Amino acid sequence: MALSGMRGLSVFISDIRNCQNKEQERLRVDKELGNVRTRFKNEKGLTPYEKKKYVWKMLYIYMLGYDVDFGHMETVSLISAPKYPEKQVGYIVTACLLNENHDFLRLIINSVRNDIIGRNETFQCLALTMVGNIGGREFAESLAPDVQKLLISSSCRPLVRKKAALCLLRLYRKNPDVVNVDGWADRMAQLLDERDLGVLTSSLSLLVALVSNNHKAYWSCLPKCVKILERLARNQDVPQEYTYYGIPSPWLQVKTMRALQYFPVIEDPNTRRSLFEVLQRVLMGTDVVKNVNKNNASHSVLFEALSLVMHLDAEKEMMSQCVALLGKFIAVREPNIRYLGLENMTRMLMVTDVQEIIKRHQAQIITSLKDPDISIRRRALDLLYGMCDVSNAKDIVEELLQYLSTSDLTMREELALKAAILAEKFAPDLSWYVDVILQLIDKAGDFVSDDIWFRVIQFVTNNEDLQAYAALKAREYLDKPAIHETMMKVSAYLLGEYSHLLARRPGCSPKDIFTIIHEKIPTVSTPTIPILLSTYAKILMHTQPPDLELQNQILAIFHKYESCIDAEIQQRAVEYFTLSRKGPAMADILAEMPKFPERQSALIKKAEDIETDTAEQSAIKLRAQQQMSNALVVTDHRPPNGTPPPVSSFNLVKVSSTNSNLDYNSVDQGANQTNGTVSKTDSQSASADLLGDLLGPLAIEGPPGASISEQSVLSGRDVPSAADAAAIVPIEEQANSVQPIGNIAERFHALCLKDSGVLYEDPHIQIGIKAEWRAHQGRIVLFLGNKNTSPLVSVQALILPPLHLKMELSLVPDTIPPRAQVQCPLEVVNLWPSRDVAVLDFSYKSGTNLVNNKLRLPAVINKFLQPIQLSAEEFFPQWRSLSGPPLKLQEVVRGVRPLPLMELANLFNSYRVMVCPGLDPNPNNLVASTTFYSESTRAMLCLVRLETDPADRTQLRMTVASGDPTLTFELKEFIKEQLVYIPEPSHGPTQAPAPAAPQAPVLPPDDPAAILAGLL
Amino acid sequence: MIRAVIVMNTQGKPRLAKFYDYQPVEKQQELIRSVFAALSNRAENVSNFMEAESIFGPDSRLVYKHYATLYFVFVFDSSENELAMLDLIQVFVETLDKCFRNVCELDIVFNYSKMQSVLDEIIFGGQVLETSSVEVMKAIEEISKLEAASNAISLIPYASGWSRR
Repeated sequence: MALSGMRGLSVFISDIRNCQNKEQERLRVDKELGNVRTRFKNEKGLTPYEKKKYVWKMLYIYMLGYDVDFGHMETVSLISAPKYPEKQVGYIVTACLLNENHDFLRLIINSVRNDIIGRNETFQCLALTMVGNIGGREFAESLAPDVQKLLISSSCRPLVRKKAALCLLRLYRKNPDVVNVDGWADRMAQLLDERDLGVLTSSLSLLVALVSNNHKAYWSCLPKCVKILERLARNQDVPQEYTYYGIPSPWLQVKTMRALQYFPVIEDPNTRRSLFEVLQRVLMGTDVVKNVNKNNASHSVLFEALSLVMHLDAEKEMMSQCVALLGKFIAVREPNIRYLGLENMTRMLMVTDVQEIIKRHQAQIITSLKDPDISIRRRALDLLYGMCDVSNAKDIVEELLQYLSTSDLTMREELALKAAILAEKFAPDLSWYVDVILQLIDKAGDFVSDDIWFRVIQFVTNNEDLQAYAALKAREYLDKPAIHETMMKVSAYLLGEYSHLLARRPGCSPKDIFTIIHEKIPTVSTPTIPILLSTYAKILMHTQPPDLELQNQILAIFHKYESCIDAEIQQRAVEYFTLSRKGPAMADILAEMPKFPERQSALIKKAEDIETDTAEQSAIKLRAQQQMSNALVVTDHRPPNGTPPPVSSFNLVKVSSTNSNLDYNSVDQGANQTNGTVSKTDSQSASADLLGDLLGPLAIEGPPGASISEQSVLSGRDVPSAADAAAIVPIEEQANSVQPIGNIAERFHALCLKDSGVLYEDPHIQIGIKAEWRAHQGRIVLFLGNKNTSPLVSVQALILPPLHLKMELSLVPDTIPPRAQVQCPLEVVNLWPSRDVAVLDFSYKSGTNLVNNKLRLPAVINKFLQPIQLSAEEFFPQWRSLSGPPLKLQEVVRGVRPLPLMELANLFNSYRVMVCPGLDPNPNNLVASTTFYSESTRAMLCLVRLETDPADRTQLRMTVASGDPTLTFELKEFIKEQLVYIPEPSHGPTQAPAPAAPQAPVLPPDDPAAILAGLL
Repeated sequence: MIRAVIVMNTQGKPRLAKFYDYQPVEKQQELIRSVFAALSNRAENVSNFMEAESIFGPDSRLVYKHYATLYFVFVFDSSENELAMLDLIQVFVETLDKCFRNVCELDIVFNYSKMQSVLDEIIFGGQVLETSSVEVMKAIEEISKLEAASNAISLIPYASGWSRR
């Protein structure tokens, strides 16, 4: 027995156990720590055995939750002890007490290495275990080769080798470079021929880590994995000790299947067939039995097999088999299997096109919402949320509403939020949406966040058809004897705005409405009173002809609150009181609220936030995307490059749909948006997808200069400019058998100026982009649309960001269902000014060919500009204060594409550098200003001045100034790139100088210096 | 990867706690307390899964098993198979059972170091090392032999130079 020699430790543990309370325990622990500390101080008198005893005590105390901040040196020094027990305790306790960054660890690297390369296998094991638990980078660098040797050594016992495998895994995680891919891939494959199942299990863990980083290098391992699975499935050469409840090592089976999930496809038909045989056997041959442990073990393999089938996107037959199995599982008695059944169904939703089959199980899933186990209830909620679409939204949301009143408190907020989101996303009609939200507030007011009721009000405000209905509903709720305060707020708001629409109904006269609301005022809290006051003011305004009695009543209330201690209430009371005496003027001021600008649903945003907080982000996001693609599939049966149908019911701003004739494909269709006027076209792709307002705030406030004459874009930008040459051009496209449609560079340049459009298209896929930029942040949504009638597989998207951009792409699904569109949001943060360009490395499989493209992403410097118009009074002091390099740089640019001044101004505006007309006295000059946003510079004003020579339009002098030297330089270079390129007439149909653009009057060229002097 | 193994009794007293990604001691105690609070709310005859992300952060799962007066809890990320983890708890317990012949809480309390050794033979740096309790027992017996062999000697204090290094 390990403790036979350590009576002191046993005594100490007994003492601790006998402590009546935490205080006594603390005293005892403090006493012991004091004792150990003193003993350690007089180290000379300490035998290794005593040391060992004290170190164990320290570990025990540490586990009890007391900090042990001394004795680390003693612990570590035990590692160098020659005898086993001391060494053992040294290693074990070091691994428990210290973390990988502890300085002492450096001191022992040598001793550890000696143990690893030594002949003593027990010492090797101890050392490997410690390194495997807490080894850091330094260990990785100095020990990896030795550990590799142990792993492949034929003379070592399996006991050592399996530890070496996992130790190597740790070192690899700390520094991937320590495993040399070229040399190691073959060794790894050889390792998989291992007969010992213990070594094999560890090796597979190692393999999983390696292939998850670089599956290409380990292709040769794939058939071996299948061999292992076959061996286990046929129960060949599986020793008794590795048979767990009659199943040949379930862990090894699981790990092997997990490793296989990192290979995108299995090309070799024989390997594939063998694997599918095994999978088929697992899927069909697993039954639910009495013994819980056996059940768990067999189903661990089964669920892993399901994952693998999902991954391999097998023939439809197998997939429907899987769904059928899952359908069976969610109804069994065994709770674990019910749980996993639900979870895997949720996962299945996002991988394949099985939603319809899953929907058949809706009733059972709803039953699971009432399961006694909260874990299962949560899974059921997730699944319902995931499988909801237009077709079943009504049922599901109503089910959630019903469940709301009985659900656990801990789940209610999530439940309310999810119901609200689903109602918003999939409402068959808007009145239903209003019903749902009002019910939600009624049933679970405490759990309904402000966002939810704000949102419903936005909807009602923006949809006239809805207003009378909503007001009526609100009125009905007020009849209830007790209503939630949130309901009070919503109803008061709605009735204030729209109750005049109901005036003819019984019980809805202004007076009735006022009375029923005012009855409740004693029950509401301070924040609600201002809303009620506004409502009164509006009622008063709407009462035509004026009702004197009502007016007096309301005025009295205003008067009463004029002295309220709450500033908000007081102010409103005073203002309303005064206003109500203004007569007709009041009607203007208190007119109906204008429509809200379309914006991202705060709700959805909140849901996303919550998800990033709690749930596995990627999966849920993926699921969300999947939902979107499902929704799109449902509503959009047109080819992906067609104009998506306008779904106006969900356009927040109805007006916008009128000019939404341009969708994000506009570039593609050669839209000729020919003048440089401010246009809403790219901002209002409201019709482009009905969820636009839900998931992506798509550039509503399209910056004034966001769109410019397409002609100047197309004519100039399709020729490789300096930037083109420098950036990564899709070089690999030649290698691809699939030819892109349209010019990739052209599309990129168009997107530099617009916020939506097509980035890439070929016969199989279309990648559209919608972007929104706000200060130094941006959000690009990639729309991956599968144009085929078969699923697009092995889809991979990788972002290669430049140093100055922080980019985060949400998970891109491996498969895009036929004719579906998947949205992948990409978050961008601009850290500092730079012209470098981000690249999207995108690939998918078309037949057997891998189609790979490197596409530049339009997250370019001008996206982080915000145009600002300055007056002379603002401009000149700034201009003067930024004197000389490096903050102000001047350069004469030659070889400029000759452009009339007007067009030049348009070009500038299109890059969000706002031309300030009339600032420069010389009509041949342009002065422009903009604000640049990045994390390092924050908002920074940039000023630009161009002095052109009417006689020679191919050259000009440019001065750029800002408060940051890098910014000045980068911006100057950027503008230069835009100005300098060789025009190519063939590409610019509208290249001829537009007659609309009046030629600037030709004036004698001024001496630039004189102009500058004049300006300053 | 397995993130943590916690063994605690039904009063919430930790009997073994091993965190494979480093956590400061206060954090460890907080995590143990939160896990216990959540576990003690769970009924019998429900699933062995518990929501863990609110305690351990994103991408964490938790399975547990309840044996007599003890909870065995494994926390891990999505790279592991949930049921396989549950099986591993069973292997751990079966091994302890072999070690102590019908293991009870007291065995675990007093043979704290042995628990550590057993766990180290099953989980290694957050990865599954060995799944056969027979193999684990072999390794443990080997260790016990070595300990026994040197215990006899270690009773005699010796003054080697290493400790002053």
